Amino acid sequence: MSPERWQQVSRIFRSAISLEDEARKVFVAEQCGEDESLRSAVEKLIDSHHRADEEDFIGGRAAEDGAALLIVENDEPDAPRFTTGQQFGSYIILDRLGIGGMGEVYLARDSRLGRTVALKVLAADVSADKRRMKRFRQEAKVASSLNQPNILTIFEFGEADGLTFLATEYIDGDTLRDYLRGRRAKLTEILDITIQILAALDAAHDARIVHRDIKPENVMVRRRDRVVKVLDFGLAKVTEKRMHGHIDRDSQHETATAAFKTAPGMLMGTINYMSPEQAQARDVDERTDIWSTGVILYEMLTGVMPFTGPTTSHTLVQIIEKEPLPFNKTLTGQVPDELQRIVRKAMAKSLDERYQTAKDMLIDLRHLKRQLEGTVEGSSERDVGTKKKRVLLFAIAAMVVFTIGLFAFSIWRASPAPSTVSTNAPAAPVAVPERVLTYWITVQKFRDGKYQKPFTVAGEINFEARDEIRLNVRSPQNGHLYVLNEGPREGTNTPEFVIFFPSPTANEGSSLLTAGQEVQIPEQTWLRFDAQAGVERLWLVFTEQAVPEFESVKQFANTQTRGLITDAAQSKSIQDFLTSHSNTKPEFEKSDTLTTLKANGRILLYPVRLEHH
Amino acid sequence: MRRTTKQHEITQLLAEWRDGNQSALDELYPLVYDELHRLARRYMSRERGGHTLQTTALINEAYVRLVDQKNVVWANRAHFFAISAQIMRRILIDHARRHAYAKRGGGAQQVTLDEAASITPGIGSDLLRLDEALKSLAEMDPRRSQVVELRYFGGLNNEEIAGVLHVSENTVTRDWNMARAWLYQQLTESAGN
Repeated sequence: MSPERWQQVSRIFRSAISLEDEARKVFVAEQCGEDESLRSAVEKLIDSHHRADEEDFIGGRAAEDGAALLIVENDEPDAPRFTTGQQFGSYIILDRLGIGGMGEVYLARDSRLGRTVALKVLAADVSADKRRMKRFRQEAKVASSLNQPNILTIFEFGEADGLTFLATEYIDGDTLRDYLRGRRAKLTEILDITIQILAALDAAHDARIVHRDIKPENVMVRRRDRVVKVLDFGLAKVTEKRMHGHIDRDSQHETATAAFKTAPGMLMGTINYMSPEQAQARDVDERTDIWSTGVILYEMLTGVMPFTGPTTSHTLVQIIEKEPLPFNKTLTGQVPDELQRIVRKAMAKSLDERYQTAKDMLIDLRHLKRQLEGTVEGSSERDVGTKKKRVLLFAIAAMVVFTIGLFAFSIWRASPAPSTVSTNAPAAPVAVPERVLTYWITVQKFRDGKYQKPFTVAGEINFEARDEIRLNVRSPQNGHLYVLNEGPREGTNTPEFVIFFPSPTANEGSSLLTAGQEVQIPEQTWLRFDAQAGVERLWLVFTEQAVPEFESVKQFANTQTRGLITDAAQSKSIQDFLTSHSNTKPEFEKSDTLTTLKANGRILLYPVRLEHH
Repeated sequence: MRRTTKQHEITQLLAEWRDGNQSALDELYPLVYDELHRLARRYMSRERGGHTLQTTALINEAYVRLVDQKNVVWANRAHFFAISAQIMRRILIDHARRHAYAKRGGGAQQVTLDEAASITPGIGSDLLRLDEALKSLAEMDPRRSQVVELRYFGGLNNEEIAGVLHVSENTVTRDWNMARAWLYQQLTESAGN
């Protein structure tokens, strides 16, 4: 910027920042006239001003911010503070496990309780550093509030002999980083580890705690049983419950500040697990942890980190803009396509397209694991058939993807065109004017304060409040599936419809099912009955050709409206379709666990009645 | 007695510098640097105690120790603060730079030990980037750059800064807002791209 320009910007900026939003815009526009670049420079600066204000950018004192710099070099890090057998508070030192900038870690015995602990003793300069102490205290507080087998247990945070320490559960094992070094983990092991990380996150997220720094260094694998422990909640943040359209101001603020204060520090190899929103210092919620878990999963599968670059900036750009190398371009063995999908979804740059909860990802991985172990319900023959078809499907998808040079594709736009898939998919049974669809319902009941193990039923039973269900569907035919929930009419003549399937998060957003493919509706969550008694109808629509009325509404089935069709004309056209085709009642056959529907013609339509009392 | 000699010397140098003798600054600089550095380190190495390291306190203490109070006019104090802010900046940047090249220790990671190793150079590189941005700012607008130096590195409040720079407090506030916004923009842009 030339000094003249600078003066010009400065003059407008000076007066503008004291004005309210609207008045300010007007004022700036007035002052800048035709000069678009001047206006943009001023606006940018005003924005920076507000953000700097919110984040208290350089609001402290340099000497405080840099206090640690003044002292660290003076330390003699290699000399242990304690020797074996020495008493420290109520602990007896057994061995030194490690040393780092924060202090030393000892293996110690708690003489009061007779248990072995890991004792983190803080270096004096750390104890004197307010910010690091805050972080440390936070870690202790947050982690000790979480009681989950995959989260490192904190026993005590205290002081002894003028030193601050943290006593935690001792894990005889390696960090995931070390654990993976020089070896390629088996697929089931990778799934196991990821599932355990997600179980820890699920518990943390339930307590509204976002870890924000999930990386292999913060995951331990216990030697004896390979139990995984997530540690270091030092950057964790307690969040407001995430709601649509709601921005957690506080966390936004914190993160942006943290980005200035710690992001460059993450140079040390941790930046690679940052989510795009972290990389951009945007507001961060649970989904950030899901991203980082996805990165770890990708790394375990391929042996390489998905986002790396020669410098921090390169890496950040990778995270924000680039797609990782597709699995088939890495030196990876066969990665099941379902797992590829899971990884893609965990690392979706768009928050809406990412897994929304750790539990959803956990469920998908568990399901996949069971499938791989061959314990998934149903005949193995069918599974083999399904697998073959899926492999082929993926091959097609991969070609499409390869052509456009993208790894993940945006759900609605890039999913393979239905016609392409059906012509390339293995031949469906000869097209007879008959539609066949099988469904069953998975139910989990709420008892004694928690949800019980899910079980399946063939069809309608009476449900109770809090019951959670999922609908499962498959067909021996190719076809388009639509599942709609018809809500109570509430006095009006037009029912409210919620489209459950297709959804952006299920079946890559497509309504097309291939023969033998099973879908779960909703894919990631459960439908829960509320306390109000009544009857809900789930319409199953299974057709040979795509139904334009439904295809046109699937764009509404996004997370914003949760699939609720708000447009009256849309509702009307759906209702008309349902009415005009409901005279063709399908036959149904019930077994203990399945209901099979058969309808003559090219359209199958069936309302599943869900009564709850 | 040596203290008195030193005090006298520094007071004298300050007066000379104020009167326009630039070489006085060259002599003054290392003396103040040593004192501030020593003080800063002493503050830091005091175990625990829960104090906050106040730069103003630091510079005040240095001032009391280094300058002969009886024979100093206020303008000298302002000059002393100005130069101290500059020196604090230098001290921190020197450390940050040295730190950036220092090797990082490994060690088993029972409980993550790498936080400090990552945080400390983090502060360091933040400071280095801020320093660079501040230099660019000084080329366009020396006064605003000085406001930041006095406030962030020197720990002076707006009133003191106004005194040092012979401007109104309002001007200091305005300068600070503009400079900070610009620096913020520089740093976030260089981090993001």
